[in-house]
Amino acid sequence: MFLSESDSQSLWLTIRLAFAVTAILLFVGTPIAWWLARTRSRFKGPLGAVVALPLVLPPSVLGFYLLLAMGPQGPVGHLTRTFGMSALPFTFWGLVVASVFYSLPFMVQPLQNAFESIGDHPLEVAATLGASRLDAFFTVALPLARPGFLTASIMTFAHTVGEFGVVLMIGGNIPGVSRVASVQIYDHVEALEYGQAHHMAAVLLAFSFLVLLALSVWRPTTLKTARRD
Amino acid sequence: MELSLAVEKRFGTFTLAADVTVRGEQVGIFGVSGSGKSTLVSMLAGLVDPDCGEIVLNGECLFSTQRRINVRPEKRRIAMVFQQHSLFSHLNVMDNLLYGFKRCRPEHRRIDVDELIRVLNLAQFLDRDMRHLSGGEKQRVALGRALLANPRLLLMDEPLSALDDSLRFQIIPYLKSVSEQFHIPYLFISHSLVEMRLMTDTVLAFAHGRMVEQTSSEQLARNRMDTSPVGYINLLRLGLPVSVADLYAYPWGDSQLLISAASDRPESMVELSSKDIILFKQHPEAISARNLLRCNVRSLFTSGRKVGIELDCAGNTLIAEVVQDAVNELGITPGTTVYAAVKASAFRMLPG
Repeated sequence: MFLSESDSQSLWLTIRLAFAVTAILLFVGTPIAWWLARTRSRFKGPLGAVVALPLVLPPSVLGFYLLLAMGPQGPVGHLTRTFGMSALPFTFWGLVVASVFYSLPFMVQPLQNAFESIGDHPLEVAATLGASRLDAFFTVALPLARPGFLTASIMTFAHTVGEFGVVLMIGGNIPGVSRVASVQIYDHVEALEYGQAHHMAAVLLAFSFLVLLALSVWRPTTLKTARRD
Repeated sequence: MELSLAVEKRFGTFTLAADVTVRGEQVGIFGVSGSGKSTLVSMLAGLVDPDCGEIVLNGECLFSTQRRINVRPEKRRIAMVFQQHSLFSHLNVMDNLLYGFKRCRPEHRRIDVDELIRVLNLAQFLDRDMRHLSGGEKQRVALGRALLANPRLLLMDEPLSALDDSLRFQIIPYLKSVSEQFHIPYLFISHSLVEMRLMTDTVLAFAHGRMVEQTSSEQLARNRMDTSPVGYINLLRLGLPVSVADLYAYPWGDSQLLISAASDRPESMVELSSKDIILFKQHPEAISARNLLRCNVRSLFTSGRKVGIELDCAGNTLIAEVVQDAVNELGITPGTTVYAAVKASAFRMLPG
């Protein structure tokens, strides 16, 4: 077989993680992106910088702080204990929380750009036609930002699939729980199993290439459409 | 409609200040670019908040700094047609048309959707994507969408300025007849004197952020004759022409005009500038101009350094412009008979 059982297991785990992170970030990232696109608040700059931090921060730094926060002595750890939940580190949901932080800019920034490119005018038009702000958001802004949502979702999904440092810090290397594809490749290389490492790496390489190809094929079409409008 | 405005808005060094009460169903706001007219209508729609003042429409206060009232745009029932059609590109024609209608309370729905679609001649486009409509079709959809929101006031912010002449004169009858038919008063914003005369009765003229004149659209055109590069534009409704040699003879009331342009429409609208009319005290012996009209001077008016002469040509009205010296030389006074000469090529056929 092309992939071993543990390889398939780590790939399946990676896909589940990427879907969960993308879904959560669609809900979390959309209001943040909307606020950043529309606000004139003096907090826009600091919040924008916080959102963008994972782009420049070494994953080990982010992973370290998240580990402290989610650990038994950390604020998140306290919270999970209060609700009778187990600690998040070294669990699947710990990975999800860490990945949500790490992939936040990949969701927020394309959405923010999409919302900014819409501008105020369509929303003003909707208001003169009797639409409340919330109504205009759902019936005008969201549909017009659809290309941004697609880009943001693909980027977030792909970025989560490719994570290594943060997941290793938070999830460790527990088969079926936190051993994602990138960690599995690392394990194969450590064990000098280059053949299996090749197979896994080829799958991720093909996936990444297809994602970028899809984006490059699809984006010019949507841009042309937008320009015609 | 009765609209009272007493507002002030400052943008850097520019201040818009308006203090006016206007009554009428077809009101114009006239002014050059930068005179503050678009800001004024944005304040009416609730899209821009005045720094101070009050806006009252038909007795209801929409904005007042003193009384701390600021009715949200979606609650004002004031719809807008914008310079660019501003249609929602993710919706087709029908969904665009119904956007405001669906959000309008049932008791406010006076306009029948099918009837409006028929009047605006949109039935064949309903399933179409916005990208597949011409400029004129898009503007008709935008008008229909605004009207179907059943507003108590329709604001039209230079809705024709993005269109070429041909489309502009196709749209004007729709704009006017639809609002008349459905009894929706409007404020029409434009910097075109011709559009003002075709669309409005009362006009508020703005310059440098201040209202400088409240008058009729006809009077405004006469007052601006001197400053307008095309003078006063006479708008003439003519009947179906017949070919006469190289020209076309158009019925004009009890008279006729010889014009170089052909038309196959039963009724044509033509423009004639006041600058293109030459007056003679007596019948000239020989003249190249193909139209020589015997007219009585009805009245005279001044516009800057020019004198406008209102002529009665066999029951039809024409405005010619001359300088004061010419008035003195020809002895033109009300009741005087003069001859007006107009070249056949001076008339401009309006597309429609």
